[in-house]
Amino acid sequence: MKTNVNSLLFLLLFAPFLLMAQNTLKGTVAEQSTSLPLPGVNILIKGTSTGTTTDFDGNYQITIKKGDVIEFSYVGYNSKEITYSGQSTLNVQLIENAAQLDEIVIIGYGSVKKEDLTGSVDVISSKDFNKGAVISADQLLTGKLAGVRITSNGGQPDSAPNIRIRGGSSLSANNNPLIVIDGIPIDNTNPAGVGNPLSLINPNDIDSFSVLKDASATAIYGSRASNGVIIITTKKGTSGDVKYNFSSDVSVSNVTNEIDVMNGDTFVSFIQDYHPTYANLLGVPVNTVQSFESVSQVINGRAIYNTNWQDAIYRTSISNNTNFSARANLFDKIPFRGSLGYTKNEGVVKTNDYERYSMSVKMTPTMLDDHLKIDFNAKGLYSEKNAIDEGGALGGAVNMDPTKPVYNYDVNNRFGGFYNSTSVDGNRLILDGQWNPLALLQQRQRPEQVSKILSNIEFDYKMHFLPELRAVANFGLEASKAKIKETYSDNSLSTYKFDSSDTDIDTNYLFNPGVNYLENQSITNTTMDGYLVYAKEINDIVKRFEIQGGYSYQNFKNDGNKVIYQYNNDSGLREIQVNSDNPNNRYYNVLNLQSFFGRSNINILDKYLLTFSIRADASSLFTKENRWGYFPAGALAWKLKEESFIKDLNFINDLKLRIGYGKTGQQDITGAVGYYPSSPLFIAGSSTSQYLPGVSLYSASAFNPDLTWEKTTTANIGLDFDFFTNSFISGSVDFYKKDTNDLLARTSLPPGQGLSDTFVQNVGSTESKGFEVNLNLNPIETENFNLEFNSNVGYNRTEVTDLKGSSRITASESGLPTGTGVLIGYHAVGYQPYSAWVFKQIYDVEGNPVFNGFLDLNGDNQITNDDRFYKTMRPNWTYGFGMNFSYKNWDLSTSLRGQVGGLVYNSKRLTSGWVDKAIPVNSNSLSNVLDFNSGAANFGFQNVIGNVPFSDYFLEDASFLRCENIVIGYRVENILKNASLRIYGSVNNPFIFSNYSGQDPENFNSIDNNFYPRPTVYTMGINLDF
Amino acid sequence: MIMKKIVYTLIVMALFTIVACTNELDTQPKVELTLDELLAKDPQAVEGIVSRLYGSFALSGPNGPGSSDVSDDPGESPFLRGIINLEDFTADALKNRWGDDGLDQLTTTSDWDENNKFFKYMYNRIYYTIPQCNNLLSVLSNVDVKNKDQVIGEVRFIRSLAYYYLIDVFGKGVLATEENFGTSESLPEASRLELFNYVKSELLASIDLLPQTNGYGQANKAVAEMLLAKLYLNANVYIGTPMWDEAATHIKKVIDQGGYSLDPNFEAIFSGDNDSSPEIIFPLIADAVNSQSYGNTTYLINGSLSADTMTLTDYGATEGWGGHRTTKAWYGLFGDLTNSTDDRADLFWTSGHNYEMTDYKKWVDGYPSIKYRNSSFHSSSSPTSFSGTDFPLFRLADAYLIYAECAVRNAQGTDKNLAKDYVNAVRTRSNATPISLSELTENFIIDERGRELNFEGQRRTDLIRFGKFTGGSYLWPWKGNTLNGASIPDTYNLFPIPLTALEANANLQQNPGY
Repeated sequence: MKTNVNSLLFLLLFAPFLLMAQNTLKGTVAEQSTSLPLPGVNILIKGTSTGTTTDFDGNYQITIKKGDVIEFSYVGYNSKEITYSGQSTLNVQLIENAAQLDEIVIIGYGSVKKEDLTGSVDVISSKDFNKGAVISADQLLTGKLAGVRITSNGGQPDSAPNIRIRGGSSLSANNNPLIVIDGIPIDNTNPAGVGNPLSLINPNDIDSFSVLKDASATAIYGSRASNGVIIITTKKGTSGDVKYNFSSDVSVSNVTNEIDVMNGDTFVSFIQDYHPTYANLLGVPVNTVQSFESVSQVINGRAIYNTNWQDAIYRTSISNNTNFSARANLFDKIPFRGSLGYTKNEGVVKTNDYERYSMSVKMTPTMLDDHLKIDFNAKGLYSEKNAIDEGGALGGAVNMDPTKPVYNYDVNNRFGGFYNSTSVDGNRLILDGQWNPLALLQQRQRPEQVSKILSNIEFDYKMHFLPELRAVANFGLEASKAKIKETYSDNSLSTYKFDSSDTDIDTNYLFNPGVNYLENQSITNTTMDGYLVYAKEINDIVKRFEIQGGYSYQNFKNDGNKVIYQYNNDSGLREIQVNSDNPNNRYYNVLNLQSFFGRSNINILDKYLLTFSIRADASSLFTKENRWGYFPAGALAWKLKEESFIKDLNFINDLKLRIGYGKTGQQDITGAVGYYPSSPLFIAGSSTSQYLPGVSLYSASAFNPDLTWEKTTTANIGLDFDFFTNSFISGSVDFYKKDTNDLLARTSLPPGQGLSDTFVQNVGSTESKGFEVNLNLNPIETENFNLEFNSNVGYNRTEVTDLKGSSRITASESGLPTGTGVLIGYHAVGYQPYSAWVFKQIYDVEGNPVFNGFLDLNGDNQITNDDRFYKTMRPNWTYGFGMNFSYKNWDLSTSLRGQVGGLVYNSKRLTSGWVDKAIPVNSNSLSNVLDFNSGAANFGFQNVIGNVPFSDYFLEDASFLRCENIVIGYRVENILKNASLRIYGSVNNPFIFSNYSGQDPENFNSIDNNFYPRPTVYTMGINLDF
Repeated sequence: MIMKKIVYTLIVMALFTIVACTNELDTQPKVELTLDELLAKDPQAVEGIVSRLYGSFALSGPNGPGSSDVSDDPGESPFLRGIINLEDFTADALKNRWGDDGLDQLTTTSDWDENNKFFKYMYNRIYYTIPQCNNLLSVLSNVDVKNKDQVIGEVRFIRSLAYYYLIDVFGKGVLATEENFGTSESLPEASRLELFNYVKSELLASIDLLPQTNGYGQANKAVAEMLLAKLYLNANVYIGTPMWDEAATHIKKVIDQGGYSLDPNFEAIFSGDNDSSPEIIFPLIADAVNSQSYGNTTYLINGSLSADTMTLTDYGATEGWGGHRTTKAWYGLFGDLTNSTDDRADLFWTSGHNYEMTDYKKWVDGYPSIKYRNSSFHSSSSPTSFSGTDFPLFRLADAYLIYAECAVRNAQGTDKNLAKDYVNAVRTRSNATPISLSELTENFIIDERGRELNFEGQRRTDLIRFGKFTGGSYLWPWKGNTLNGASIPDTYNLFPIPLTALEANANLQQNPGY
């Protein structure tokens, strides 16, 4: 690997000297929004037959005289005419025509021209990506596609995106779409320490996404495709001269919306008014704390500070992103692209740093008289993240008493300069109550390091004896090594222990700096697929006929071990916890998937396109008897534009009707029940879970031998259109209906009839209906002035239609933070999945909620579960829209998105929005509460027990409109010879419109608790092509 | 041309790989083991599975105190914690002050409903243990293991113990056995009587299979006899037919044949080294290192301590959760605590606390119990974060008092004088004044059971048996959610069946009143 890197660097450094000078008019033709060179552009001097085309790197040269008009034209792009004024260099940029009719779209096991697509496939290429601060691939797509809802978990640097295409189809099985990078379907399981699997590819390397939405498109991927497929294609090399791109940006992020808790002074008056007997716990005794923070008042010998604990843990963070790439044609034979990238992203919570180094190589040589095409990709990546205890920090900052200082530099303070309250217990000075959240962040280091390679090589061989027959074989490897090492620094609160042999309060304590946890993990996923394609062009009714068949093998192996520590009860020293039954605390999980697939495409009269596919899938998660699933699909596309009655209508550039029907499967329940859910197995108890002395303890794990495929049938009808000059209006409309049967869901087992209380079973059905519209407007398109709008809207409504006799099952991700095990979400027959089952709150005449007052819906004069009703928590409508505007060298773009409907449970009202929350439960620490005076919570709430947490009062409308980004850029041509520079500034997440009273209504599981805020990010960047 | 050959070779190779690969679909775990692999690896494996079944009453899960066998919270849901919550906090002697949803309703005997997660915890734990037992019984016949009969006896005892609590707490359920193990259709509802008869016959059978003595923490004949005696003792409540005679017969066997003796020191039965106590018939084992749980005696000890008014390290603890205090319904039984000679009266922490529990959520209202401690009685020991004190689920003093109760209730074959002697043995051990025969009444028995056995997970059952739990005849602080106590309906003699169970098995019907 090292040698490869060296030769790459050599190439990158010395290649520029190879360029040769020219003396006639020359220049480069590039694509306007991405600056990527366009090969094969036709260049014609108007009125003559003199012309040329650009080479693979967009370069051209032509002999010309002053006053000539040069015309640049290229399929899929708007032509451009320029009068020659005598310069020696002329670089030109062409604007893409909104409808890229000739675009090649990558689909499963092959590719087709966009005009020949039969399924519902959205393509988004680099010009339409989200811009500004983007560090992971999903952020390029957010809000851009109808029916694709991407909800990040929050503002963490590698926050997991929850991607739902058409709402997802399962209840407990994985609902994420299958992601395929350069032909390799990647793992759903993240390496240890990785939040977002898509952060493991440099977004700068991505050329385009194909999003496969309906079953006729996805069925060829079978088993993992029930929730749609996202195919990522990376940028390719060149066959011409060496080209470089350098880009770099710096961004500043900050938190704009904090949780509305009390400040020190309001908290003092609140405690004095509502809990006067606890006023002696406010602040700290005078002169016990040395700190630079100012004391705001002194009450009864206690110094009251005014600390904003949220400010204490948040920071204005600075991030940087730098990429360098080179494209070349190695030895004049091998189109090559190589890139290096570096990202440093600071989270807005202190110490939450993320760093990533990435490299990629792509080579696409053609051999054996163009009979053998090879596509080789290698991506390498190293990332390191300091994982923080989010609950401890974010929850702690809200709960911590604001009258306490952050720091204490007193010589007697044991905790590294951080304030923490203590009390004396016998001869021990023990920690009391809430721990300082900033100390928790600063005193623990938990670097989570991941090295990953994703590599594949594909051979596409056209038989010499029969050129209509191709054999394609693809071998892929996705391997990662992850290492987590948690250490504590000196004087850390978490490692504060006592030596039982010492009774002196001043000396009997100790700290245990150093390693507290270790985990090593290696993931090795191998993919192999091979298929034969026979394609024949016939000049008959059937114009073209193609049939293919193949086999696919995927194996996912996750092997790791942990070192777990414990504290010695006598000495207080940390020592390794030895588990004799599993000495390395190993885990070993394997998933194997194998499939046979076939597909046939038939083109009749260039008007009717037919596709049939079938796939047989086997999953190692099921027993031999239940292992295989069969997933057929078919689709018809009718190219209306080719019909004589439309052909002559000039304003119609394209019109195509698509009808598709197919079945896909789902088996991924590893997140719910692990990798061996169908077999009876025993597991040894850990060293802390032993019982009878001298005997190793073994537990029988729950299993279900009857598990089998969940099946989704989708019917889709869609229309693609493109009207008027320059594609003034273009877009697509799709309607669909999805039925999912044999749902894999975690359900309660009949008591006493399973080895645990819940397990995954095939339990029932859901039915979804929806539609999607993508609409693009291209109203102005002139040489200097361009304006285009894009928009999308998606509607999806899913209903649970059967649960095998049960009326509802709980949704395990809907836990409320009132202790564990209290769930509000249910999947109930006749309702949308993930609906909240709640009581109807009663309000008084002033509009304040009546504590524990609920509407007796069934009128039986008592409030029981029969008075609860369902409210849908996930939104039915999602939308996005954006604008691209350019004037001469200036460009301006913006992208907005949002949802209509959906609910969010304002958990902070539950955990911090009641009066008695402030008083201590098992310590001497007061807890901060929401600011009742500002309306963040209601004084009427005394506690949150019984039916109170199930009040619909806590559910608020989650509709929102968020501005994703605003970008303004300026392009400087020829800043150096042949180099063009773009400078831009952007702001991400500048504003959001919403009626939600909490922090952020965009919440995937609709339970807003300890949410890591999404920052507003300001970015300045440059992009240099040379 | 060489390339061409390579390509063709690759294609052929690929075809062979397909054939070779399909058997990889049978993935093999390496950490988890099948029963055969387990037996090959560890000849004692069956004992290890039995250890797990016993451990179901103390541990939360297989992977330390943060793991759970079921979908419930590993800290809140273990069995012993549930028994204390359901049997002691609902009764007169102990109250919890945290105000936690669910627990608060237990402590104030008010607003019980099917949503209360603490009912679900107990239900799930019982119905975790039973099928685990059925699973082992159903495979034992194919396994070569020594003392197989004894193992079967122990497993059937453990299952009976789980069913006993189901009968006592919820009053009904389903009868899941090794016969119907693996059935996927919901089992029919089994009445209290059906469950009673089943447990009775199971215990009678296991008594025959069990040895006279067994390892610490394991069932022997006396352990099963004791459970059977308790079942009979409450027969009037459970099935409406008093069975004092049978209770007396079996408790007498425990006393005469069990080989147990009263511990000379009351405090020693509840201390860190109580595994050496001669009095404990059946313990739930805890160990600060090897057997950790937030739901074993750690809950009882840490929950009763607070650094606010007490010194944690004096009781071998490192954390005080400031949760549980006793009420005058317990310490009032000793009269004036400062003048009492009864050692048991010393086990309340009074300093800094108020006699009256005016506000049950206030730590200083009511006395914390210091009956349990994690420090050793016979030697010195270091404080630990988890408790190493075993919980005496069955002990000889209880057996004596059961005998005395049967005698008072005129059970056949009982001797009131002997009963009085047993009671006085219990009392004089704690330096309490002996009683005369005339003082041996039903009311005395229930009070003496309070003095001796409160905080041992049986007070609610006792009060129900004596007709004092529901209604307004006997009131205690915060009964019915009022300071001086209020009447509660008779439906509170049983807990509601949790909603999750009703939804998972449509054959189950809610208990009346909920």
